[in-house]
Amino acid sequence: MEHLFWVLLIGAAVIWCIVIGAAVYAQKASVPDREQQARHFIVWGGAVFPTVVVGALLVWGLVILKDITPNEGDRTIRVDGERWWWRVVYDTDDGPVPTANEIRIPLGETALFKLTADDVIHSFWVPSLGGKMDMIPGRETQLALTPQKLGNWGGLCAEYCGGAHALMRFDTVVMEPDEFDAWLAAQAQPATVDPEDEGYQVFTEEGCGSCHTIRGTDSIGPVGPDLTHFASRERLGAGIYKMTPDNVSDWITDLDNMKPDIDMPSYPHINGARLEALVSFLMSLE
Amino acid sequence: MPELPEPPGDAPRVIDQGSIWILVASPSIWAAHFLISYWVAAVYCAKAPNAAPLMEPRWIAIGLGVFCCAVIAWLAWIAVKRYGGVFLIFEEITESSERGRDKFIGHVSLLLCVLSAVAIVFNIIPGLVLGEC
Ligand code: HEC
Ligand SMILES: [Cu+2]
Repeated sequence: MEHLFWVLLIGAAVIWCIVIGAAVYAQKASVPDREQQARHFIVWGGAVFPTVVVGALLVWGLVILKDITPNEGDRTIRVDGERWWWRVVYDTDDGPVPTANEIRIPLGETALFKLTADDVIHSFWVPSLGGKMDMIPGRETQLALTPQKLGNWGGLCAEYCGGAHALMRFDTVVMEPDEFDAWLAAQAQPATVDPEDEGYQVFTEEGCGSCHTIRGTDSIGPVGPDLTHFASRERLGAGIYKMTPDNVSDWITDLDNMKPDIDMPSYPHINGARLEALVSFLMSLE
Repeated sequence: MPELPEPPGDAPRVIDQGSIWILVASPSIWAAHFLISYWVAAVYCAKAPNAAPLMEPRWIAIGLGVFCCAVIAWLAWIAVKRYGGVFLIFEEITESSERGRDKFIGHVSLLLCVLSAVAIVFNIIPGLVLGEC
């Protein structure tokens, strides 16, 4: 793909020089009786040559496009764009592993993303890793990414999707393959929650479980992000805040400031010991 | 008004005799090909499952393209034979005569034929290279 850039750049420079050269020549030279030649030059240089060049570039570009959009990968990750967060499901031999708002992929392997949208068009983009791909309601689009470097690469929604669009991002963490396997195995486990846990009591009393799922408990709400291993994420609220107890606390009580106009209500009335218990319960979901 | 000289060819003469149909014919074929390609692709992609074999739409695309280009080649042939069209005009056609008009229409039609054929080929290439919905 890097070749394409250089070929285009150098090709464009050469053609530009020829055109400008011809223009300068036409200004200077007196060429009344060269009309015949000029017409041939116009047809070959102005019509045939560009057609052939554009045709060749078209084929080349398409071949590259085909290469970067393969139909298979070493693993399949389904990502569903929601307003304004990401539902992420890893397909494994032991069944699907749902998470949200953070994507982890192993170094050097091709991850095939199968992209869908729940409500409106979103667009999935990790600029450092590759091109972007629209997520379209009712359709499944695909994008294959093969990360070459370890690190945390920011991703975002690249298609305006409503109020909190600008706050719809995610982290893409590229890990060593064996670390990744361990991480995925941990994500596949249900949460270990003591039903008597004070924080979990608040969670159910306030009805959080009607929107959020914590696998291994009675909370199986499908509306919001899966919180089973919530605290294992690097960031909160679709990749926008550091995962700290203070931020989680603000998220619950002051959502209108943290991420306005989203599909989760704010709970300013939760405070004191109840808030503390709820936050420390959420932070224990590793 | 001076009497017009007798035209030399057997090409249709004035507008109301349909003499300019050949001008619009090839771009119309291009437009039709464009539309039909979209229809065929949309229907195929909607009906066929995701992993459907890629050969069938390919053959449709090639067949349609070859057919359209053949019709355009035939039009180009008419433009050359009946209208006396040429690719390159070295002397400007300024003659206000049926002959001059025919030559001009033949020339323009020929160029439009080339343009339409190229456009159709460009339209087909992505389908052949990518071949997926
Ligand atoms: C009406 C459904 C609904 C209810 C009820 C609800 N939430 Fe949410 N929650 C959401 C949605 C939707 C999001 C994603 C919002 C966004 O980022 O756009 C979310 C996001 C979150 C997140 C951030 C998740 C992440 O991956 O960063 C946390 C934490 C959270 N909710 C906790 C709670 C708690 C605690 C309660 C109960 C006090 C609660 N939610 C009640 C719908 C709900
Ligand atoms: Cu968006």
